[in-house]
Amino acid sequence: MSRFFATGSDSESEESSSADEITPKAPGTTFKQSLLLSDDEEDTKRVVRSAKDKRFEELTNLIKTIRNAMKIRDMAKCLEEFEQLCRAFLKSKNIVDKEGVPPFYIRLLADLEDYLNQLWEDKEGKKKMNKNNAKALSTLRQKIRKYNRDYETEIAAYKENPQESADEEEEKEPEDSGASSESEAEDGDEGVSAKAFLKKKPEAAPEASKFLKSAKGSGDESTSSDEDDDEDWGSDTVDSGSESSDEGEGKSASLAVVFLKKTHDADKSSEKKLGKKKKPKKKERLEEEAEEEGGEEVEGGWEKVKGGVPLVKEKPKMFAKGTEINTAVVVKKLNEILQARGKKGTDRAAQIELLHALAAIAAENNLGQGILVKIKFNIIASLYDYNPNLAAFMKADMWKKCLDCIDELLDILFENNNIFIGENIAEDSENLGVSDQPFRVRGCVLTLVERMDEEFTKIMQNTDPHSQEYVDNLKDEGRVCGIIDRLLTYLENKGSTEEICRVYLRRIMHTYYKFDYKAHRRSLGLQGESKSEQDQEESEGEDSAVIMDRLCKFIYAKDRTDRIRTCAILCHIYHHALHSRWYQARDLMLMSHLQDNIQHADPPVQILYNRTMVQLGICAFRQGMIKDAHNALLDIQSSGRAKELLGQGLLMRNMQERNAEQEKIEKRRQVPFHMHINLELLECVYLVSAMLLEIPYMAAHEFDARRRMISKQFHHQLRVGERQPLLGPPESMREHVVAASKAMKMGDWRTCHSFIINEKMNSKVWDLFPETQRVREMLVRKIQEESLRTYLFTYSSVYDSISMETLSEMFELEIPTVHSIISKMIINEELMASLDQPTQTVVMHRTEPTSLQNMALQLAEKLGSLVENNERVFDLKQGVYGGYFNRDQKGSYQQKQQGYQRGGYRNQNQGNY
Amino acid sequence: KEQRKENHKSVAGGMKNTAALILLFLFSQVVLKIIKHYQEEGQGSEVVQGVLLGLVVDDRLEITNCFPFPQHTEDDADFDEVQYQMEMMRSLRHVNIDHLHVGWYQSTYYGSFVSRALLDSQFSYQHAIEESVVLIYDPIKTAQGSLSLKAYRLTPKLMEICKEKDFTPEGLKKANIGFEHMFEEVPIVIKNSHLINVLLWELEDKSTVADKHELLNLSSSNHLEKSLQLLMDRVDDMSQDIVKYNTYSRNLSKQQQQKHQYLQRRQQENAQRQSRGEPPLPEEDINKMFKPPQPPPRMDTLLIAGQINNYCQNVKEFTSQNLGKLFMAEALQGHN
Repeated sequence: MSRFFATGSDSESEESSSADEITPKAPGTTFKQSLLLSDDEEDTKRVVRSAKDKRFEELTNLIKTIRNAMKIRDMAKCLEEFEQLCRAFLKSKNIVDKEGVPPFYIRLLADLEDYLNQLWEDKEGKKKMNKNNAKALSTLRQKIRKYNRDYETEIAAYKENPQESADEEEEKEPEDSGASSESEAEDGDEGVSAKAFLKKKPEAAPEASKFLKSAKGSGDESTSSDEDDDEDWGSDTVDSGSESSDEGEGKSASLAVVFLKKTHDADKSSEKKLGKKKKPKKKERLEEEAEEEGGEEVEGGWEKVKGGVPLVKEKPKMFAKGTEINTAVVVKKLNEILQARGKKGTDRAAQIELLHALAAIAAENNLGQGILVKIKFNIIASLYDYNPNLAAFMKADMWKKCLDCIDELLDILFENNNIFIGENIAEDSENLGVSDQPFRVRGCVLTLVERMDEEFTKIMQNTDPHSQEYVDNLKDEGRVCGIIDRLLTYLENKGSTEEICRVYLRRIMHTYYKFDYKAHRRSLGLQGESKSEQDQEESEGEDSAVIMDRLCKFIYAKDRTDRIRTCAILCHIYHHALHSRWYQARDLMLMSHLQDNIQHADPPVQILYNRTMVQLGICAFRQGMIKDAHNALLDIQSSGRAKELLGQGLLMRNMQERNAEQEKIEKRRQVPFHMHINLELLECVYLVSAMLLEIPYMAAHEFDARRRMISKQFHHQLRVGERQPLLGPPESMREHVVAASKAMKMGDWRTCHSFIINEKMNSKVWDLFPETQRVREMLVRKIQEESLRTYLFTYSSVYDSISMETLSEMFELEIPTVHSIISKMIINEELMASLDQPTQTVVMHRTEPTSLQNMALQLAEKLGSLVENNERVFDLKQGVYGGYFNRDQKGSYQQKQQGYQRGGYRNQNQGNY
Repeated sequence: KEQRKENHKSVAGGMKNTAALILLFLFSQVVLKIIKHYQEEGQGSEVVQGVLLGLVVDDRLEITNCFPFPQHTEDDADFDEVQYQMEMMRSLRHVNIDHLHVGWYQSTYYGSFVSRALLDSQFSYQHAIEESVVLIYDPIKTAQGSLSLKAYRLTPKLMEICKEKDFTPEGLKKANIGFEHMFEEVPIVIKNSHLINVLLWELEDKSTVADKHELLNLSSSNHLEKSLQLLMDRVDDMSQDIVKYNTYSRNLSKQQQQKHQYLQRRQQENAQRQSRGEPPLPEEDINKMFKPPQPPPRMDTLLIAGQINNYCQNVKEFTSQNLGKLFMAEALQGHN
């Protein structure tokens, strides 16, 4: 249930929202709770009653329709309504449990039953009825009989004493006729009064109808009736009041609609009305305030909000003249303003204005920092509240205001060491007044900052990343970081470990994805060009690596929530990987054992994990660990959903599978654009590593039936390349890789090299690395080596022997490298050859079967499995009788088969079936 | 062309015409037309098809002419083939050519023609025109020097089965049909009119004997590899089919067991009920409870087996020929 719909039943929604404290709404809820706590008994009771009103209103409405239907003998309608009534009654069960079954309900049940029985007896009448009605009558009769069994005692009581109800009936009559006796209704039965309300506002927009009425009526009368309305319909008055005051400033659009319904001189009349209204109200307010001063707060909070409203126009008059402005009064005022929070139709902008004004007053009157801090808290909370929708993001001005406010708040906190803030400080133990004791203020600055950070993310998510606006917004990041940094220093002194962990994580989150060019340059030994820059560099403080290390280690040691630690580890790994500290990153990843249980984490953490893995893979690639790179990227790339897995966009083809709600949630998870990992780079790195692994492998196992693909994705790209009817020069990154792969297959490393590293690929991919040159060199070398291997695999059958010198010339590798590669191949039994040391040649052994022989071997294997399958059919058929083949035969057959087999193909095959 | 004619003769001469259900007299003109058709339109594994025209004389079928089916392209999807055939036959009739439809021909790729499509169309042909044959032309073998033309008909048994469309394991078992008995080959005799024979004799004297190399081509691996590849694919298919069948029969027996158990239980219950004097529970619902699993169609397996057999024959033929050639080459080498 949205709290914006709940005119009355605030308490319900409040509870539900406060139940999940981790939600970003957290700061709001804490304040709401405090608000509730401050409410006195009377208030809470009122809330319940109005919930009851709402339910009873529904019931009475239905009852009325039923009675009407009874009058015109429309049984079908009657039945329908009765069913609805039962449902509605069931819905209001918990209220009924509390209050007892409402008498009007019982009355209806009794009446209806009597009436039905009467009809039932009336054979003549029944005959006259049409078929539908007759059918409905019998069903309804049965139903009500069954239903009334549950209320037998009540009905009996009612039948004994129908007098009471009669009274009520009478009471109802005048109300129906005249609209003036609302006050009576208030005293009377709730249900009936609810009904009276219904009469008053049959339309959905209550204000509208009210104003319509008032417009129709002449001057005085309308005002007075309005006033009356306000009496018992307090919450609404706040709206109407505040809105009408705004109306002068032309802020509220919805109100404009309301007023449009009026006659053309609407504005004038409303102005007039306001004038009229103001006078009595002011008086009223004075009285009330006096009352409150005396300590009577029963109705106070209620009426006063309304009282405060017109004051928006005349700010200095926030407090009545002559009132001594002290802490208590301001707190009370604050509470008043906060009462309206979250209520339907409350103008949130106006509320923020009010709070600002209040802060100004408090500052003016030197009420001390405590109260100021408290008001600031509330201002920030209201700013967050401004958007009713969680998905919507803050407007720029609001955002600026919010940042300013937090800055100011932190200023105050830094300046005044004697302010204690905390969520656990109860509202009544707050110490806001100026005294010798330190201030104690309820509230948590950390949650506010966290919320701010989330808002920032939201703003970034909702800005077009290719616009100037995005850049402008991104500039605020510095400020956000600044605030977090200040909070960090503040909390390091005052906060608990838990809080420190939280703020550390925030800091880490803002650091981990940024490449530290400063440190990079320093590590390269390059000095800044000019003296001043160097100075600046030094003054800018420690390396991000050091900071990350410090913060993360603190979290590892102190954190007790698993989530923060997980995030910290992932960020730490990411940061390591980003700065090419491959071994640290890998060790941390392996030690954390995150790979085992990451699937149990929540989606944002999983996204972070994916980002980290990808970064790790890219790091491995830069370091020349092709295999590691491939393995790290395999999971992300093989799904083909890299974009989604990294939280960098939604896939269109999944649109049908998710509904709007899910889509919203997923949108909220997206990583802001400035943190994105370049997907093309990612794919290129993956494909190139796959190429370097797959092409030699393919060459080595050309005729192997049990060849497994290393990378499906890569094969897919190759196939796509093959399917092209016309092969032009490569355009996209993928085409480049495919073309390079083809060249590599032939052992032509120069072509391969020119396809992988050229102008186009440089600008698309390689230049995105911080150490471009080094990566390129590594890549060239890898290409040379793997091409050599591929060449040997593919063409070894052509040679009797080949000189290593020739090879080294062909692939521009040093002889020792060639030697080592060939030795490795020989050791791994990939190449059937031997090295002839004196002549520096490789002598081929020619033990590899020809392709035809290979084929025959494969066929033999296949036939073997075929026969085996066939035997199984026989086994099944003859199994009972002892088998067609006896075991020995089969065994010998298998043994014979072993001769053809290399490795465990058979076993694998059996596993498959 | 001359060459081919020579070849025809040699092949035709080698044909035995004993024990023939129908003897096929093939006019050389038809052969040439089919070869021409393939050469013009067929490529790689694509097949070309056409209609055979001729007459039945006693127990012989004489195929005197043929015409190709036009190649389909995507833009003439509404092309009416039947209409085209009728049109074609009518036109041929006007020029006094045999216009009776007696079958069809098809080119093949490494002898892979035993397929469902062939079975179906041959069945419909044979169903409509009893004496229909399908002529399979293997261009690859022909290119190697020996004309390969084979005529096939469905056996009466297979016709029965196809008519009933009962391809379940039981149906095939009852029909007692194996892959060997699916198609019967009809011996082919290539016939020339005397005039042509005379012409050929005359030409033979004039032509040089030099270019007959294809027959002596020693390279074998390419052709063998291809055949093996195809053979392997079929073996894979076969394996799959067997596994499927295996699962089916396992399921079936499992269900049978369950059914049996259920029946026993029901009988026991009934016995008890009878002793208590209650009416026995019915036993009809048992078939509803145990629906037998869908049996896998076995026709495809049979066809695959036939195809494998075909490949094997091909390979065997090819290798035995090659072996001979190799020995010959060796002998020649020693001689030099």
